[in-house]
Amino acid sequence: MTTRYNFAFFDEGSKREIRRATLKAIAIPGYQVPFASREMPIARGWGTGGLQLTLSLVGKEDVIKIIDQGSDESVNAVNIKKLVTKTTGIQETHNTTEATIIQSRHRIPEIPLKEGQILVLQVPIPEPLRYVEPSEYITKRLHADKEYSGAWLMLFEQIMKYGNMSTGADHPVSVNERYVMAPSPIPRFDNGKMNSSNALILLGAGREKKIYAIPPYTKVVSLAFEDYPFEVESFEDKRCRICGGKAVFMDELIDEKTGEKYYQCNDSSYCLEKLKSELSA
Amino acid sequence: MKLDMVHDIQRVYRKVVDCMSKPGHINNICEEASRIDLDIDFYNSTVVLMLMLLDPEVSFKIFSINEDKITKLVNQLTYAKAETVENANFIFVLRDTEEANIGKAFERGYEGSLIDPHSSATIIIESGSITKDKDLILSGPGIKDKNYVTIDLPHNWIEKRSLKNTEYPLGVDTIIVDGDSNLLCLPRTTEILKQVVK
Repeated sequence: MTTRYNFAFFDEGSKREIRRATLKAIAIPGYQVPFASREMPIARGWGTGGLQLTLSLVGKEDVIKIIDQGSDESVNAVNIKKLVTKTTGIQETHNTTEATIIQSRHRIPEIPLKEGQILVLQVPIPEPLRYVEPSEYITKRLHADKEYSGAWLMLFEQIMKYGNMSTGADHPVSVNERYVMAPSPIPRFDNGKMNSSNALILLGAGREKKIYAIPPYTKVVSLAFEDYPFEVESFEDKRCRICGGKAVFMDELIDEKTGEKYYQCNDSSYCLEKLKSELSA
Repeated sequence: MKLDMVHDIQRVYRKVVDCMSKPGHINNICEEASRIDLDIDFYNSTVVLMLMLLDPEVSFKIFSINEDKITKLVNQLTYAKAETVENANFIFVLRDTEEANIGKAFERGYEGSLIDPHSSATIIIESGSITKDKDLILSGPGIKDKNYVTIDLPHNWIEKRSLKNTEYPLGVDTIIVDGDSNLLCLPRTTEILKQVVK
């Protein structure tokens, strides 16, 4: 492979700085470590945090999978994948099990992750208290004091207004009984997969210049009240129209011809793998 | 053979990430360490870690009987600044240093602040052999149930480390390497108990 860039796009100094921040993030689960987010050839807010983590991690032996809201083939995923593979020459895959690094926007794959794999999540707003406190100076002090009334109040107000916790995604979690953390805008359905995960989970926010992490086998609890327990999106009685899968996170779609509502697996590679195994059986 | 500053360092970094996320898990960096062709009196694997972690943005402290000589070498290799133990980002406790200095590194190393716990020091210690024998019991994030290791170091470091890490999230993170280039990480969240034989 001939390329005018250094391996994995970055200069070694940039990688070193990101790597130091990542090691501290792993050592303090759920704590947002500031880092010098680099200018990237994609716009901030399009996955630059995740991309910087991936580029600092990736080596010649890696196999990478990049997904965007469950899809391996959406524009964001394809662009990031092209940048990584063109500057490293590594293999890419759609298969969750084959991948050593999985970079994802807003989903955790349906196929359970294995020990040794690294899940990199792209994060737009890493601060779980940002909705109640706009000042970074203050939120850092609130984290220092373990003062999370703001996060609880946000959920309480949702219950008062709508009768339940209405966080569609990014439902705050408590990590290792210390830090309240934004799990990135994954659906509530995926929050449980963070608890005691087999794989290391790294979260990168490029625009906000933060890296944080959940090591494997770490306690992650979604915030909830005794009388209003945490609930995930329910897909009971629903089946995927393509593969017949159930008990997975699904997209609700409308058939344009008949106007009927139907459901489809959100994780496209899970859906295709299931279909393939059923066809070959 | 020369160390590849891109790919060898990347491989070592991934092993350190693996160890840091699974405290007590031992990885070996012998292949990469063997590519160091410097005339030094400390472990090659420590040099690889120095090259992986240090640059002009961070500071370091060396504990060794050859402290001055090694500090100069590390500064020349990485351009990182030498600092006092209280202010250093990375503290290297080499095998030839006095036993008391291991404790001193834990006592005096910076534990960070509640606002910036990540600004704490990382202590890198050269030890005798690291094995999976059941001398120390480890628990905490990154460990499924319990992990067991034996680290050939004078035992008082465990108390000093535990004292330093009492007020989580304040604390220091530790990387331990042995003469065979085995590598082990103990982030501040890891609790260490000594196995008691009745």
